Amino acid sequence: MEARRGARLVVPAALAALRGAREVWAELVRTFANVAFGVSLLAVWAIFTLIGVVIEQGKDPSFYAGAYAPPIARLIARLDLANIYHSPAYIGVLGLILCSMAAATFTKVIPRRIPRLGPVKIDAIPLHARVVVDGDVETVRARLAAFFAARGWQVRKRAFGGDEWTFADKNNWARRGVLVAHVGFLIIAIGTTIYWAKGYSGQFAVLSGESATIPENGAKIALTRFAYRIDPVRTKAGIVYQPIDYVSNAKVTGRDGVTHDAVIRVNQPYDVDGTLVYQATYGFAIDFRVTKDGRPLAGAPDRPLKEGEGFPIAGTSRSIQYVRFVGTIDRATGAPAADPRPNDPGIVIQAFDGDNPIGSALVPLGQPVDLGAGFALTPARYVLYSGFQYRYDPGMIFVGIGAFVLLSGLCASMYFLPARLFAIVRPVAGGSEVGLAATTVKGYDVFEDRFREIVAELRRAEPPPRTDVAPTPTVGAV
Amino acid sequence: MDPTRVLIDQRLLEIGIGAYVTGALVMFAYFLLRTPVLRSIGMPLAILGCAAQFAELGTRWWMTGVWPLTNLYGSLSLFSAVAVAIFLVFAYRFDFALIGGPVLAVAAIAFGYATTWNEGYMPAVPALQSYWIKIHVPIVITAYASFMVAACVSLLYLFKDAAERRFAARGGSVRALAATPAGGTIDLSLRTASTAPPPDAHRSDTPAIAGAAAAGDATAIWLAGLPSLARLDVMQYRVIAVGLPLLSLGIITGAMWAKEAWGAYWQWDPKETAALASWIVYAMFMHLHTRPEWRGRTTAWISVVGFVSIVFCFLGVNIWISGLHSYKV
Repeated sequence: MEARRGARLVVPAALAALRGAREVWAELVRTFANVAFGVSLLAVWAIFTLIGVVIEQGKDPSFYAGAYAPPIARLIARLDLANIYHSPAYIGVLGLILCSMAAATFTKVIPRRIPRLGPVKIDAIPLHARVVVDGDVETVRARLAAFFAARGWQVRKRAFGGDEWTFADKNNWARRGVLVAHVGFLIIAIGTTIYWAKGYSGQFAVLSGESATIPENGAKIALTRFAYRIDPVRTKAGIVYQPIDYVSNAKVTGRDGVTHDAVIRVNQPYDVDGTLVYQATYGFAIDFRVTKDGRPLAGAPDRPLKEGEGFPIAGTSRSIQYVRFVGTIDRATGAPAADPRPNDPGIVIQAFDGDNPIGSALVPLGQPVDLGAGFALTPARYVLYSGFQYRYDPGMIFVGIGAFVLLSGLCASMYFLPARLFAIVRPVAGGSEVGLAATTVKGYDVFEDRFREIVAELRRAEPPPRTDVAPTPTVGAV
Repeated sequence: MDPTRVLIDQRLLEIGIGAYVTGALVMFAYFLLRTPVLRSIGMPLAILGCAAQFAELGTRWWMTGVWPLTNLYGSLSLFSAVAVAIFLVFAYRFDFALIGGPVLAVAAIAFGYATTWNEGYMPAVPALQSYWIKIHVPIVITAYASFMVAACVSLLYLFKDAAERRFAARGGSVRALAATPAGGTIDLSLRTASTAPPPDAHRSDTPAIAGAAAAGDATAIWLAGLPSLARLDVMQYRVIAVGLPLLSLGIITGAMWAKEAWGAYWQWDPKETAALASWIVYAMFMHLHTRPEWRGRTTAWISVVGFVSIVFCFLGVNIWISGLHSYKV
């Protein structure tokens, strides 16, 4: 008894809860499918994106503290604006936009794209005209169908309540343009997801004469030679040293164990087992010699150092960092010259005591610099190195297809206007009256000129009318 | 460098700027007075300037063998030439020459500003030595140019819309009559061209202006001679419909080029993201334009905001913000 009574109470409550959940769901879908809501999300996306353009991304907090007023620097740190494109807010907005797109696609774009054929109130449609022509109703209907067909309109006839209507459609297929564009986005999203799931990328630098291995696929790249070309060009502002070419000559060994000669340039990546290797950067590594009282110091670097690298001076709390390479030192001033090519090269070094910088110097290549306490450092020679990026992207084909589909959808929806003409022929004294109205997916204004032309053509094509009820197409309040 | 070719280049540059400046003045006069003779002077000047600019860019290519769109001078120069070309197409195809003044003025300013970035004849840096530069850059610049023309149409829309609201606030025709100085005349309506009905004069979406014009208000008569708001809205839509697919294609080709040059479609570079922001703004325009209640004033404002974002993307990012697209030496 008790159980039955309980069930009698629980079932309606569950049904009511279900109804309530359905209503909430329906309301949620309505909101997400709403154009104004979608556009608001787009506006937030645009603002977030612009913030990322204006505020330099991915820097240390100290950079923002130096570049902005303290309140703004604090705001950047607190709101994570220095990494906005990967912030939960940014990704959340993208997620909401995808939800909005999905809701609009399934509730609006798909169901309403191709409207059913049905009778309309001709005079209630802003683009309408009535033309009285010679001939009986059947003859005029046939002539009207031929008139539209001859102009590339797809003609269909349907009877409703004893009246036969003629419908003429143009570019009906383009009604799917918006849907196709949204599908394009979806395919691009699939492609990028495949990359996140299965792809990889990275970077490495190789000294001339040395080799490196791509860890993900085991491909070996031995740099035979790196070369650059920088030309002095005379401009109105003076001589400018314009980079012309960077080229890495390498020997690449793939999964099959066969070594191939490879020439890798900017814009010309090399494909090794589906992984593309790109020419990214280059630089001058320096061979340092460190001595103590004229004798080589144990613990000195045993390999050339790249810009930014450093080494400790054994037995002291001090260290040396190789800051940057200077191609040409001006002999007159002893300062770096504009020519980046190594004519009279040197390097900038920075000395540290612990973590504290204690001084920097420009040291000509081959010349020793006294570090004090019997220590001396000589930047002996430079070795060119080449910086590469590599990337394996199995989703690339999807991104390409998605981009093509997206563009096709955009072009279809923007350059081809789907329009429908509604025509009904009724007998009047002395002939027949053609009632004509037009609708498009983009309102009436965009089709007004064409509709006027169609009506004018119809008047010319048909036998001279005896009277016109409404001589010109009219546009009412839209 | 062959001095004759340098001289040709210089002369073409001068012809281009001269034609734009003169054309802009004439077309502004046409906008105010709507005298057909002004239009028939201004349009050939626009054609001359546009042709001179394309010829100048072609000459540079011929002189140096280097694609001329590798720097800000080349791209700004192409921007103004394409903007004028788009204006000419719309002016002849849709009988819409009224915006010639602002379009030619912006073209002249852009071209004049471009000359300040004219460093001479420079070879391209390695990153720009790709066949993609001949695909990506013209597409993007054409998109920018169409948005500029669209912004001019939108400003005209907003101008007429503001005038309509002002006349409506003044109480329409009765107050408009009262506003005319007693015994005085404002002779904007005396030219036959300005009183001739525009192509879509059979209807009015600016009833306050129409009422005031019917009551003899000279300013209203001049305003009534402008294209209807509906026609201006359709025109801004048409021009943006040229630009948005091109901007989309430009972003896609840019991503493909980035993939080839840098190994990634998208690196959140300032130029990429600024272009994305502009694309979003125009996507907003297109979405709002599907709804009658948003079509018109709101979309016109978005078009103007969109062009501001384009200017930021085109010039602001290039000049002030460093990134992968900074090719300055």
